[in-house]
Amino acid sequence: MKCSEIENKLIAYIEDDLTIEEAQYIEKHIDHCEDCKQELVFLKQILGGFEAIERKQPSDKVREGFLASLEEEKLVSSKVVTIQNENTFPWKTAFQIAASVLLLIGGYALGSFRESVKSTSQIAVLQEETSELKQNVMLAMLDNKSASKRIQAVNFSEEIVMPETKVLSALIDRLHYDGNINVRIAAAEALSKYSENMHVKDAFIKSLTIEKNPNIQIAVIQFLVKVQDKRALVPMQELLDQTETPNYVKEQVNKGIQKFI
Amino acid sequence: MQEVSGGNLDAMAILFERYHKWIYNFLYQMEPDEAVCEDLTQNVFYKAMRYRTSYKGGKFSSWIFKITRNVFSDHIKKKKPNVTLENLVLVEDESKEDLSNEVRRLRIVLNMLPVGDKELIIMSRFQGMKYHQIADVIGSNEIAVKTRVHRIIKKMKTIYFEKNTL
Repeated sequence: MKCSEIENKLIAYIEDDLTIEEAQYIEKHIDHCEDCKQELVFLKQILGGFEAIERKQPSDKVREGFLASLEEEKLVSSKVVTIQNENTFPWKTAFQIAASVLLLIGGYALGSFRESVKSTSQIAVLQEETSELKQNVMLAMLDNKSASKRIQAVNFSEEIVMPETKVLSALIDRLHYDGNINVRIAAAEALSKYSENMHVKDAFIKSLTIEKNPNIQIAVIQFLVKVQDKRALVPMQELLDQTETPNYVKEQVNKGIQKFI
Repeated sequence: MQEVSGGNLDAMAILFERYHKWIYNFLYQMEPDEAVCEDLTQNVFYKAMRYRTSYKGGKFSSWIFKITRNVFSDHIKKKKPNVTLENLVLVEDESKEDLSNEVRRLRIVLNMLPVGDKELIIMSRFQGMKYHQIADVIGSNEIAVKTRVHRIIKKMKTIYFEKNTL
């Protein structure tokens, strides 16, 4: 290490801020380097000078002044404390808070009650509207040119819980006059659910007189036998007398007539 | 100090006993005027008491030393509004006291330093503050403070031993 480097570390050496190795190295160096030794002496003298500077004793005025202002400060802060103590429990504020909380809860309850009443009625209206819409869609679809659409419409009618006469008569119309056999069968199936309805029964009896398709004839006979409508006996007798009626239909008619007795 | 900050003002008296001499002596080194330093010391403790709620933990000595520096710098500004800190460097030391030659020389050297250097070396050597504490007070870091203090000591040594006119 050069002397300049040693010099740079001398203050740290005095401050005991070096590693043991560094300190030992400096000690060895100083042993044979007069310049650095002199430098160390100078520095120690400077730093030692601070120790020699007299520590002054401030007069008692400082303490007196301080204690006076301390008493004053205590007085001021105790006043603040007293004011705080008078309001140990802020009843007024507490009541105000309680009242607003109550108001909030009450408002919420009222609001949610009204909301539920309102929404129930709204839901009812909506349901009504949907079923009406379904009916209208169904009625429109029944006039569709495509047979499959008409079948779909007939099946759709089954979803309507309480079909209006309008719907039923539209279905009956299909049963009687639709050109497509499958639509007529579907209409017969759909109508057979409303076995208590007089219009439906009349429709089936009428169908029996005009229907030429044996499949539908059988379905109509089965329905009429099931509901035990005696008015069906006349058109059934006619079917037996007609030569073009297939034998298996006649068989079905005979079985049906027996069940009426 | 936590107690004082929490409202126990009696604890402030204990802190006063412990630190007022230390503060007073720092101020006296910066400006050797007994009356002024007594006033300033009182002012420092008054401010510490008033602004006790601003104490947010840490070393009390560092906190009150920051107040001391503020009080002192306010005092300098008030006293000589037209004079910058640098001009104060050459304030002549009254040597009415019976000082040893060594101390007298040291005083003169100290007064030849810029105020910032003088303050730093007094904090480090006279007040016995550690480098990290000084760094905390002046808002710097330990290494920077150490480097600066070492440089000041070397500068002082140069003035002290090479200017034989002193």
